[in-house]
Amino acid sequence: MIEDFREYKKNWLVGKVESSELLEVVKKVKEEYRTLITISPTDFLERIELNYFFTDLESKKSLWLKTDISRENSKIESISHIFGGANWHEREAFSTFGVDFIGHPNLKHIIISSDFYGKAPFRKDFDIEAHQKEVEKHSLDIASNFEDEFSENSDTETTLNWGPTHPASGPLRLKVGVDGEEIKKVSADIGFVWRALENLIERKDFVGAITAVERICFMDNTNSMLCYAMAVEEIAGVKPTPFAEVFRVILGEVGRVSSHFMGIGGFFGTMGLHTLQMWAMDSREYFLDFLEDYSGARIATASIEAGGVRFPLNLETLNTLEKAIEYYESKRDEFHSIFLKNPMMKKRASQIGIISADEVHEFSMAGVVARASGVETDIRKDEPYSAYEKFDFKVVTKNGGSAKNRFEVIFEEIDESVKILKQAVSDIRSGVSEGTYNLEKDHLVKVPKKLPKGEAVSRVEWARGELMMHLVTEEKGKTPYRLKIKAPSFNHTMMVEKLLEGCTISDIPIVFGSMYICQGDLDR
Amino acid sequence: MSGEQLFQILVFPGMLFILVWAVFVFWFFRKLIALFHKRVGPHYNGYMGSMQTLYDFAKILTKESITPKGINPYLFSTIPILAPLLAITPVAFIPWSGVGSEIVHTEYGVLALIVFVGVEPFLLFLTGFGSNNKYSILGGIRILTQTVSMETPFFLSALAPALLFGTMNVSEIVSETTLLTSIVLFPSFILFFISVLGVLEQPPFNIPDAEQEIVYGFYTEYSGTNYLLLKIAEFSEFLVVFAMAGVLFFGGTECFFFDSFFCLLLKMLILAVLMIGIRATTPRLRVSQMLNFSWSYLLPLTLLNLAFILFAKIYIFGGVQ
Amino acid sequence: MIKVLDFFDYARSESPWMVHFCSGCCSLEMAAAMGPRYDWERYGYLPTPTPRQADVIFITGLVSKKILPVLLRTYAQMAEPSYVVALGACAFDGGPYNDSMSVIKNVTEILPADVFIAGCPPRPEAIISGLEELKAKIKRGEPSSASQGGLWKEMKF
Repeated sequence: MIEDFREYKKNWLVGKVESSELLEVVKKVKEEYRTLITISPTDFLERIELNYFFTDLESKKSLWLKTDISRENSKIESISHIFGGANWHEREAFSTFGVDFIGHPNLKHIIISSDFYGKAPFRKDFDIEAHQKEVEKHSLDIASNFEDEFSENSDTETTLNWGPTHPASGPLRLKVGVDGEEIKKVSADIGFVWRALENLIERKDFVGAITAVERICFMDNTNSMLCYAMAVEEIAGVKPTPFAEVFRVILGEVGRVSSHFMGIGGFFGTMGLHTLQMWAMDSREYFLDFLEDYSGARIATASIEAGGVRFPLNLETLNTLEKAIEYYESKRDEFHSIFLKNPMMKKRASQIGIISADEVHEFSMAGVVARASGVETDIRKDEPYSAYEKFDFKVVTKNGGSAKNRFEVIFEEIDESVKILKQAVSDIRSGVSEGTYNLEKDHLVKVPKKLPKGEAVSRVEWARGELMMHLVTEEKGKTPYRLKIKAPSFNHTMMVEKLLEGCTISDIPIVFGSMYICQGDLDR
Repeated sequence: MSGEQLFQILVFPGMLFILVWAVFVFWFFRKLIALFHKRVGPHYNGYMGSMQTLYDFAKILTKESITPKGINPYLFSTIPILAPLLAITPVAFIPWSGVGSEIVHTEYGVLALIVFVGVEPFLLFLTGFGSNNKYSILGGIRILTQTVSMETPFFLSALAPALLFGTMNVSEIVSETTLLTSIVLFPSFILFFISVLGVLEQPPFNIPDAEQEIVYGFYTEYSGTNYLLLKIAEFSEFLVVFAMAGVLFFGGTECFFFDSFFCLLLKMLILAVLMIGIRATTPRLRVSQMLNFSWSYLLPLTLLNLAFILFAKIYIFGGVQ
Repeated sequence: MIKVLDFFDYARSESPWMVHFCSGCCSLEMAAAMGPRYDWERYGYLPTPTPRQADVIFITGLVSKKILPVLLRTYAQMAEPSYVVALGACAFDGGPYNDSMSVIKNVTEILPADVFIAGCPPRPEAIISGLEELKAKIKRGEPSSASQGGLWKEMKF
């Protein structure tokens, strides 16, 4: 049933199926690949191509299925009853591309604001300028519908709007149906930070797209640039120098560490304790100092681009990093004894928000959340990119899958990242003294401005989990034709709805905080 | 009304004293929690930022006081007047400057203190109920739950000194306190302090105004002067319970070397440091965990403690005189 | 009497409390400004959980169409006098999302800001110095810009 079945890269298979046979194929696929990564539609003007990405977190094998549907009658069978994780991804494709998924249990618009309902804004023929002319009317409409939308109470149940201005929520709304303190039903309303990045990138050139890509989420912005750069390099057929690869690892790990610091702080913040937040922020500043020394900006670094890293490296910059590592290690034991072993935290967090390993596979959990449930998945090990193969580190896993376990995983991953950073710094130092690395010239390999026609999938281990990008280019294209971004918080927020049922109001912030969600990559 | 009475009402230990205390303790809390956070806290206004909280209070006073639509405005605005009045009243039962210096001389001082401190949460519950806000109502219900379960250990542990000394007269308790009685009463003090955290909604029992869960609980709709009055009520409650702990368990104004008001103040500040220390290191509990803790651990322990006090009274202090 | 009133005016300028509202990436740098290294509490700023007790609202970066009514509602809930601080390039003209189909480009026309802090995102030092500007504005006795005009007054939300 699968045509043109071939190997795409190591551990990756790609093939094409007829849209009518998709459901049968997917049922077979489920036996071998238990997780759906994402669904990525691409509009080719005469047809819409749907790309299904599957993976198996245990065997580390992945599959890429393509299927074509017509533009006018864009209908296809829903696979959300086979893969639970497909639910929101199908809703996203429905909202942005107008693809109708037959048999989807709850095919409502998601992410997009109400003026785009039914208009498929990401299709190539969508007239943005005409739409933007009426922006005033649209925002007035949204504003006047606002009140009705926020007051939904029935006789037996009160609806609490947890967010979007709640002190712990960030720009996201959980509609929580409560009976007293008990939660009856939760449904998430997202899209408050929707910037339509996937569409925005189509109007930027390959270098300019970096500014958009790094703004997916500022907590860890280096790894998202790395993911994009890898996709462009694959199509251009360029390989960065060994020095650039090692330095990308350094930048990526610094991004991860600074994100994890916010993560552990945020977790304790949800329980009304801000001390860890402050202490973590204190250590985080030193890592940001390094980014600032290197790129000139604290968080908006724009430091990784296709072909390598943007700036040559001054060896003294590494001293800043070493100072940051030293500072953190001098504080580490305090963190450990006061917060990781905190009895109150254990009492509150060890029984709630439990995700089993099966649910991890079923609902496409990634990164920290998956590892806390005992699933050993880490793209850095599974599909090594950059120079991660060179370095020795272990994948932190915990069994139990509770909110507490997730906190512990984040905490211990900081140590692993610091371990990688130390190795990478000494690698660069020894490379320079041996003369293999030239810091002045090696940092960037030239990538042509126009890329050939092609398609690439790149995955990196982001701070919050797997980040995947699907890049499509046209012949002699100056801009990306289509960039699909799959970010982990999307699935994690979907999971929050399930986790909270049957809990009490007190559990909302802590479960939400432990899922390590960033609204930036939730909405994109 | 004599001049002395007027002084007592308006200056010490009345209005002015309470205001100065509120301004001071707000600053003290902020500075201290900043220390735990590795920050500086208020710094640029006045010496070490000491004017900052005065500015804050003055600012809140000049802000608009909003009364939301669709509520009973009398209920909404009366409670913020009643709450500080009720919170200040027990000040009259505390001997501020030595034995016999309380304003109201009564044989039942301990009882009065307990009642006035214990009734305050019910007023705050009404603020939550009168606000017509989902979060406020939840906060109100939480206050009620917490008060009901925390107040029993509170008054049982506060009554321990009365049991030991055989009197409810606060001045007599102060004058009879020795180092030995303080040691014997130390377990009662710990239980008292824990239940006070519960009654005053302080971490780890700050469940009714849990920011991350229900915004600001019963405070959510209050602004301007009303909010200021509620805050003053909160701070004067701190004053009362700290002084109460100092007086009942540690001999009030009496120290080893000298007896004065500042001795009591020092004891109160030590308690404040202890409270902020707990606030800076302990996450908040869940409602059900608080209930469980209160009824299955704290209450039995206070009862046991009473038995221990009786035992000590008979075998260490030679029985009932 | 004049002196007493002066004191209250001065106090008002020296203790701006801000409501928690975040709609974009700049809130990350706002968190850093609260943190140990920059610690804006030194200058008397304090975050508060509810808009009722706040004096300042931050437009933290981009404002999408969906969150605009939330921003306006939160501003309207604040007690007078209330000020607006716009943070980052997005609050001015959309910044890096200028071409985006979902981001409002003229937020400060809808809700006029008293102080605009430039940067993408602005550094914590910049945020603090912007807030000092706001203090100076309050000291001069100028009314907040949002109370003087702006499209938000004609909108229903």
